[in-house]
Amino acid sequence: MAVFSLWRKIRRVGRVAEPAASPPPGSSCPKAARLGGSVQLRHVDAGSCNGCEIEIGSVFGPVYDAERYGARLVASPRHADALVVTGPVTRNMAVALRRTFEAVSQPRIVVAVGDCAVDAGEFAGGYGVHGPVSDVVPVDVRLPGCPPEPEAIVAALRGLTGR
Amino acid sequence: MNVIGWALVGVCGLAGLGVVAALSSPRRARSALVGVATAGIGLAGLVGGVVALGGGSFQARLSGLLPLSGVQVAVDPLGGWFMAVTGGVLAVAGLYGIGYAGHGHGPAGRGVLAALPLFAAAVLLVPAAAGVSTLLVLWELMAAASLVLVLAEHRARPAVAQAGWWYAALTHLGFVAILLGLVLYAAHAGDSFADLRATHLSPGLRGVVFVLVFAGFGSKAGLVPLHVWLPRAHAEAPSPVSIALSAAMVNLGVYGVVRVGFDLLGGGSRWWWLLVLALGAVSALYGILQAAVASDLKRLLAYSTVENMGLVFLGVGAAGVFHASGAPALAALALSAALLHVLNHAGFKALLFAAAGSVLRATGSRGLDALGGLRARMPVTTALFAVGALGAVALPPGNGFVSEWLLLQSLVHALPAGGVVTAVAMPVAVAVVALTAGLAVATFVKALGVGFFARPRGDAAAAATESPPAMLAAMGVLAAVCAVLALVPTVLGSALSRAVDAATGTSAYPVHGWISLRLAGIASTMSPLVVAVAVALAVAGTAGVLRLMAVRVERRRAVALWDCGAGAPTARMQYTATSFAEPLQRVFDDVLAPEPDLDVTPHVESAYLVARVAYQQRVPDRVEHALYAPLIAAARRLGRLGPVLANGSVHRYLAYGFVGVTGLLLVLAVAR
Repeated sequence: MAVFSLWRKIRRVGRVAEPAASPPPGSSCPKAARLGGSVQLRHVDAGSCNGCEIEIGSVFGPVYDAERYGARLVASPRHADALVVTGPVTRNMAVALRRTFEAVSQPRIVVAVGDCAVDAGEFAGGYGVHGPVSDVVPVDVRLPGCPPEPEAIVAALRGLTGR
Repeated sequence: MNVIGWALVGVCGLAGLGVVAALSSPRRARSALVGVATAGIGLAGLVGGVVALGGGSFQARLSGLLPLSGVQVAVDPLGGWFMAVTGGVLAVAGLYGIGYAGHGHGPAGRGVLAALPLFAAAVLLVPAAAGVSTLLVLWELMAAASLVLVLAEHRARPAVAQAGWWYAALTHLGFVAILLGLVLYAAHAGDSFADLRATHLSPGLRGVVFVLVFAGFGSKAGLVPLHVWLPRAHAEAPSPVSIALSAAMVNLGVYGVVRVGFDLLGGGSRWWWLLVLALGAVSALYGILQAAVASDLKRLLAYSTVENMGLVFLGVGAAGVFHASGAPALAALALSAALLHVLNHAGFKALLFAAAGSVLRATGSRGLDALGGLRARMPVTTALFAVGALGAVALPPGNGFVSEWLLLQSLVHALPAGGVVTAVAMPVAVAVVALTAGLAVATFVKALGVGFFARPRGDAAAAATESPPAMLAAMGVLAAVCAVLALVPTVLGSALSRAVDAATGTSAYPVHGWISLRLAGIASTMSPLVVAVAVALAVAGTAGVLRLMAVRVERRRAVALWDCGAGAPTARMQYTATSFAEPLQRVFDDVLAPEPDLDVTPHVESAYLVARVAYQQRVPDRVEHALYAPLIAAARRLGRLGPVLANGSVHRYLAYGFVGVTGLLLVLAVAR
């Protein structure tokens, strides 16, 4: 029975989440203050090499478990409070990113994750690259790193949720 | 000669005038004149039927009109019920036909239009027949006239001719069955119904008579497996004719079974009625399943007719079982549920076919997958179709709900009435009614949602305009009747009990009360009016609360539709009738047996590159496929014997004559 083997695994493995660091002194982004500690995120890959995606994946995995701080990934910008954008914005994704941003409800918060998102990084000036995220949509939180470590991403998200 | 007599005279006179008008008037005025005559026939029938339901009766014998037996006419409350329903439908269909005609729409030929008043009169007079010969002549007149009407548009579409073949074959097989049954009966009694009532046949003979008559009348009402003509004929007939066929003519199948089974044969054995109940249940389920997967609007409605007639026969069968088990109160309740459902079905089905006809006239299409977006272009028709659909889904506050509730009450309280068979059959019947009602909701949500809402899927639907006022008036009358039937069905209480009394001979008063329906002998009450008011209040309350909450939102901004970044959605991305019904079709895969056809064409250079994929799926009528196809093939094979027997050789024909005559002489010589 799949249910029992799952039970056994849960019992055997136990809790693997990193112990929570002390909460940030307050919200790092004034716009996020009115969200009351719960931030729904829509991730947009604007042309990333998928390095940042792997780190974001582990942020929401059992080890770093960002959901316990009130951050959650959702499936549509209509459900989201904030966008998490990775990669240099390629020419193919510029319009899509702008329209996704317009579909997010106010206050629209944009988190640029990784060097490429912050300043186009390695790919600046490439023939298929439009530019950094701030060229397309206003960016509220910048998180450099190639890729940024999960701890850093968690810290940035906790800065938004304030928890 | 009382009011009913004059009404019958009016029916015949107007039919004659209508035929003369159809044959002699100029083309432009023809449809209007025939429409007025048909509406007049319907009104006369309605008046006669209502007077009969109020307690009047009429009898007449015209010995000169028909050789040997003469024409015998009698109107009692049972016949009056069906005359009133038929008359009302025909009056509205006549009015609707006036609006429908013109600009190349509707039947316009002399012969077809002359058949319409004849058909109307025959349909109205069948419940008034009081003799076997009279009934058979009128029945055949009705069948022949309706065949002409079904074939009206045979030049425009080849499917019409095919529908005509099916209809002609099955309606005449049904006629032969009725003829055999009634002639067998009359041979032991006499021609008039009074003689038949007074005669007691042996149980075996009575069973044979009933099964034959049931097969014949059942084929007219579209009972599975004799229903195959119905979805074709009702869909291919011109829309005013579809109304008359689906809301008036099919009812006479019910009338025939009730008249012969209850009134003439006096109830009979329990197995007859279990047969009726079983076939009714199968028809109800099969009809609504086919309707649920149909994508042709009129075909969907025709299959819904099969379903509703199945429900009516389920009620009639239950009434017979109760009658045979010695529970006359329950029998009266089940029979009144069936009769009320006949009326309710006539109301909403006439309305639905009228609205479907409006759509067909405005867009030239019956296919739901090509419609859509009609709510903005035909708002009145959409609203009226919604009223009809509400009746058809058997949910409050629709009119179908009332009769199905009565039916369920009679089935649920059946347990003390009979033995083991009843105890098993009735819960199964309850389950069938419940499942049918659920599938009907899916069917009509599909018909209304896909056909009328969202965005138009084709140019014809985008260019649709609202129907002329005569059609809207006809549909408005039907919608008003449906509303009255839904809210205060209690006004029919005494008429219904008179009709039931005339059939079963027991004077029960099964349904009474004014605001609430109270049932005799059963502690159940239901008030359609209160339910409707409660539903309206709940809807209004929810809407009001939502509006209040919306006012509290500070700022609202208009943004573009979120399309997942893929560009603006097109009309092709909407739900179609086929895709909406796909989950249901998947669930009932084993019953429906759809025929998918996937055709993948690879590139010339490589088998791994696909050049074209074509997918097609048909849901054929499985009964037609499995039962009729082999029968037709066998008839063809038999027909091939013809050229062998008659090969043109004169010698052979002489030999046939010689052998035949000598053989006959030999037989006579031996038999003497």
